[in-house]
Amino acid sequence: MSPPRFLVRVWAMSAKETLHIRRDPRTLYLAFVMPVVMLLLFGYGVSFDVDRIPLAIADRDRSEASRALVDAFVRAGEFERVRDVAPDDGERLLRDGRAMAVLVVRPGYGRDVLRGEPGRAELLVDGADATTANQVLQKADAIARAATLRLGTRPGSAAPTLEVRTWTRYNPEARSAVFIVPGLTAYLMAIGAVLLTALALAGEFERGSMEQLFASPVGRFEIILGKLLPYLALGLLQLLLVVTAGATVFAVPIRGSLLLLFALGLTFLIGMLGQGLLISVIAKNQLVATQAGALSSLLPSLILSGMLFPVENMPRFLRLVSTLVPARYLVHGLRGVLLKGSGFGLVWPDLVAMALFAVAVLLAAVARFQRRVA
Amino acid sequence: MTAAPQRRRPALTQYGAVVRKDTLQTVRDRRIMFMLVAAPLIQTILFGFAVDFDVDRVPTTVADLDGSSASREHVRRLLADGTLRRAGRVGSGAEADRRLDDDEAAAAVLLPPGYGDDVLAGRTARAQVLVDGTDPVRSGAAGSAASRFFGQVAQELARARLGPRSVAPPEVQVTPRVLYNPRLKTALFTVPGILSMLLVVVTTIVTAMGLAREREVGTLEQVLVTPIRPFVLLAGKMTPFIAIGLFDVLLALAAMTWIFDVPVRGPLPALALGTLLYLCSTLGVGLLISTVSSTQQQSFLGGFLFVLPATLLSGVMTPVSSMPTWLQPITWLNPLRFFADLVRGVLLRGAGFGDLALDLAALALFGAATLGLATVRFRRQLG
Repeated sequence: MSPPRFLVRVWAMSAKETLHIRRDPRTLYLAFVMPVVMLLLFGYGVSFDVDRIPLAIADRDRSEASRALVDAFVRAGEFERVRDVAPDDGERLLRDGRAMAVLVVRPGYGRDVLRGEPGRAELLVDGADATTANQVLQKADAIARAATLRLGTRPGSAAPTLEVRTWTRYNPEARSAVFIVPGLTAYLMAIGAVLLTALALAGEFERGSMEQLFASPVGRFEIILGKLLPYLALGLLQLLLVVTAGATVFAVPIRGSLLLLFALGLTFLIGMLGQGLLISVIAKNQLVATQAGALSSLLPSLILSGMLFPVENMPRFLRLVSTLVPARYLVHGLRGVLLKGSGFGLVWPDLVAMALFAVAVLLAAVARFQRRVA
Repeated sequence: MTAAPQRRRPALTQYGAVVRKDTLQTVRDRRIMFMLVAAPLIQTILFGFAVDFDVDRVPTTVADLDGSSASREHVRRLLADGTLRRAGRVGSGAEADRRLDDDEAAAAVLLPPGYGDDVLAGRTARAQVLVDGTDPVRSGAAGSAASRFFGQVAQELARARLGPRSVAPPEVQVTPRVLYNPRLKTALFTVPGILSMLLVVVTTIVTAMGLAREREVGTLEQVLVTPIRPFVLLAGKMTPFIAIGLFDVLLALAAMTWIFDVPVRGPLPALALGTLLYLCSTLGVGLLISTVSSTQQQSFLGGFLFVLPATLLSGVMTPVSSMPTWLQPITWLNPLRFFADLVRGVLLRGAGFGDLALDLAALALFGAATLGLATVRFRRQLG
């Protein structure tokens, strides 16, 4: 019994498209090298742990107490002593960027502390980078508190009044890579699926070879399906590659089920391929298609998905926009499955949201596709 | 009369012709114009709102197993500061765990039975804080908010225990003074960075694909049989994009000062010169990529392979100083890094030409190197 004609045609289209991809080794190479390069770059390069903050010291007191305070800052690990300056030079150092913070200890600090008066020091902070500045403030605060405690407990120390233990779950060493890799997966798949599909299809429109396909007995639906299948396979391979590399290089845990992981990836990919298809049908031109793809898919996947910046911190309007970004659901689902070991019961809303998106864009794309040809 | 200057300076006339042709070609394609002008502006604004590292409203569940007046008071004060937001109440530690698993809370505060009695009796009271570490920035902020609060409480208790007659224990006060951005708004820092990022996406990829397209379609061959020299051709092709890029910066600058209150503290000519040099290097990279690729698809991927590392290793998103030591020297090869530094220097720190000498020199070097290399390669391909 021969397979139905529909499958034969889809298969033929897929084989043709696969050949296309295989005969262009540079594209194929980039499609697989890029994810790995990016994973390494993101994994190593994106670190939110601020350390080695260049700190200049202006110690005008030079007493035992002031040296102890300076020591407390330097030894905390987050600061790196860059140079000693006069207090008035501190601001200049901040302006040309050689220091992020300047610790100024005025004369009389040591005397005050010995007398039991509050010892006052000043910390100049470059606030241009608010994230780093915030962490500098938090750290300085902690160091000052620790220094106060040391002073207070010196004579006949009493039992502490309060003890807090903080437990961090899922990512106790607070490694940025563990946070980044699941998010990055969504981003990389979005690049591969949307842009490669959009480029490949827009290219056929541009060169006029799409017309030739229409003239063949293959139906429109079969053309679309046949063209998208190889890219679907490519996307799943990328997912496999990124997850494997993340687990081996950055020790990202895989606590949940792999099946669920691939179900999430597959649903997302179908939506992304649909989006690529829609873009190419509208654009008909590769240059426009890439720019449209970058705007509608890449940048939102990077910025509105919660991959780098928590969605709940965004203004209400953007939180609403982000509900339309499928990468948001994939990032949430992947983090759950990889880091928390979430099961189907927790990620089904993500699956449903991505499926809805996929159906919507595919329907829109098919509708546009038919109208174009008629 | 009109023919005389043409004979004397054919390069200039040719240049003018190429500029006119490419400007017309770009301007007539409405969709490309939209991508080049409106899209960067819209995104600068949109992402300026979205990119926010100020962590607050961390959903926190509370397990107050004590229920005394002291424990209730402490919970209330802990949640009052705004970093932690109450997200429900649970009756046991295990339940708090489950809330974290289900993503209903990102932090949990646990006060065990007897907490209030310990506080009153002067014994060591114990509290527990549970944090979801998935997002290190968020977990760091939540953890530090909790420990700051409990540290304060511990000090208050110690002071109260010593009694009013005793001498207060000495104290160390470090008073911070934040310069340039005293309210620590993230947008001030990220918006100039986003602008530099969008500029590299638009200029590099558009140039790379534009030339690859001409090669694909065959129009490049036609232009090459004319007497126009390769250098003049490339210069003419780049000029409209430089003009559009400068225009983009101007637009975005207006939006930034308007919407995000980004100050302009330094000299604008320094910013203009920096932008010009930066555009030369990003366009140069685009040209270089187009000379090594034969199709638009390849040149797009090649452009992407440059743009992504360039944005990552630029300090736009995360500070260069917190990258691993071996990675930091690589950022010296990145024009985006110097441009982002320059933009922030001029806008936020009020840096002048003197302070920016290094950035300007580096950008000039990149521009000259990439453009030179692209021209050489382009010419060799013709030979």
